[in-house]
Amino acid sequence: MRTLRLLTVGGAIAYRALFNWTTPAMFVGTLLVSPIFQLLFFVYLGRTLHVGDDLGYLVGNAVLSAALACVYGGTMAVANERRYGTLGPLLLSPLRRAAVFGGRALPYAVNGVLVSAFTLIVGALLLRVPIGVRALPGLALAITAGSLCCAFFGLTLGSIGLRFRDVWLVSNVADAVLLLVSGVNVAPAALPPVLRVAGALLPLRHAATAAREAAGGARLSALVAPLGAELGLAVGYALLAIVLLAAFERGSRRHATLDLL
Amino acid sequence: MNPVRMLLLGTLLQVKQQSRSPLEITISLLVPLVQATLAVYLFRAGTNPPALLLAAVGAGMMGVWSSVLFGSGAAIQNQRFQGTLEILMITPMRPVFKILPITLATGLVGLYSVLATLLWGVLLLGVPPSFAAPLWFVLAAPVCVLALGAFGLLLASTFVLLRNANAIVNPLGYPVWLLSGMLVPVTALPGWTGPIAAALPTTWGARALRAAVTGGPVWPALAVCVGEALIALALGTLALHFVERRARVTATLALT
Repeated sequence: MRTLRLLTVGGAIAYRALFNWTTPAMFVGTLLVSPIFQLLFFVYLGRTLHVGDDLGYLVGNAVLSAALACVYGGTMAVANERRYGTLGPLLLSPLRRAAVFGGRALPYAVNGVLVSAFTLIVGALLLRVPIGVRALPGLALAITAGSLCCAFFGLTLGSIGLRFRDVWLVSNVADAVLLLVSGVNVAPAALPPVLRVAGALLPLRHAATAAREAAGGARLSALVAPLGAELGLAVGYALLAIVLLAAFERGSRRHATLDLL
Repeated sequence: MNPVRMLLLGTLLQVKQQSRSPLEITISLLVPLVQATLAVYLFRAGTNPPALLLAAVGAGMMGVWSSVLFGSGAAIQNQRFQGTLEILMITPMRPVFKILPITLATGLVGLYSVLATLLWGVLLLGVPPSFAAPLWFVLAAPVCVLALGAFGLLLASTFVLLRNANAIVNPLGYPVWLLSGMLVPVTALPGWTGPIAAALPTTWGARALRAAVTGGPVWPALAVCVGEALIALALGTLALHFVERRARVTATLALT
């Protein structure tokens, strides 16, 4: 019961305290408006170059839009403790780290789902791209899996904030790399092998594949493989985040670098 | 102090400061390269792609705009976090001479994006370096960068006044990339976007650089770019004068 409370209530409180973009202006401007413009940019680029179709870009970029909330959010979930001077007291507490930090990813996953759904709906209306009702369950599952994976990936990046002070450069680069390798805007087959492998190991590639198949009319049973791969990655990143947090916490205590800004 | 000396010294100081920030260096170094790679692979996948060099140049211009957009704001927010914004604003010099060096410096740092994406494209992505007018390109690139720096002054004034100006600035990356024709030709966009695109110096800067790559007259677009930058400079000066007064009256300069 205590662990569940830490995961849910603790996660929600940490989200309110540490996510810098919760003011209405920042939330709307950065998380809702920005992904719509990103979607339009790639739709028009695709149209100009005759690469892909509007539906593919719409669905893919809707899934990709979760990255903004989750990657930067996950970074803030840990790095802002240091910035606001609360990291030391937090790490002095005898609570289980997995529950304390694990719960922090969940609000960002929910945020990612909201942003993705908003981008999908507004994008479909703006571009006048119809999405069949039968595609909705598959799309919902793909968006949820992608957001969950991205949130734990963000937490993994955030854990680096326990060791390095300038963690924002990691999240900025990660966001740009996801744009390139997620297969949303450039087909994976067009990328060199290194980037193709990187895309398969980073979040959103499999979720975007599942979302596109669902939008194309595939049955839910056909989505099991990509959704399973995305959720497998989510579990992997959650474990990696916990291991890194534990390792960096020990290192920070040993070198007395917790409060360095 | 002589205003020209103030501008030159201020710009030099800001360039030095930005070149020592790991965050600024990484964003200026890596993000434009990722965007150039994305653009080149997208152009290659197209059935009838334009010159690949346009992808590298377009991505470089996107980098310049990002640098000006986020760099100007970040520099002012850093002053605010460090507690030096008030001191800066109360010095006996017009606000424009204190803020313009910051935005010009972000443009100059952004010039790196154009050079880096070009080298990246030519050396690693196999883009043929076939400029129709290489000398015009060498002239137009720094002029465009300085013009964008002047345009950044307008943006910077919002950061002096508003603590949450990021909410305005964050969504401005993609629309300006799109409307300016950096990768997507303006003619491919809906007709109603034309006047908006024409009002942006980024559009004319990108057009001048495209002309230097593919052929055609460079100077008309470059002249319009400089003209619009001068208008932006005048408007930015007025805006800064207004927001400085406003921030003093409401005592919000030091609020983070």
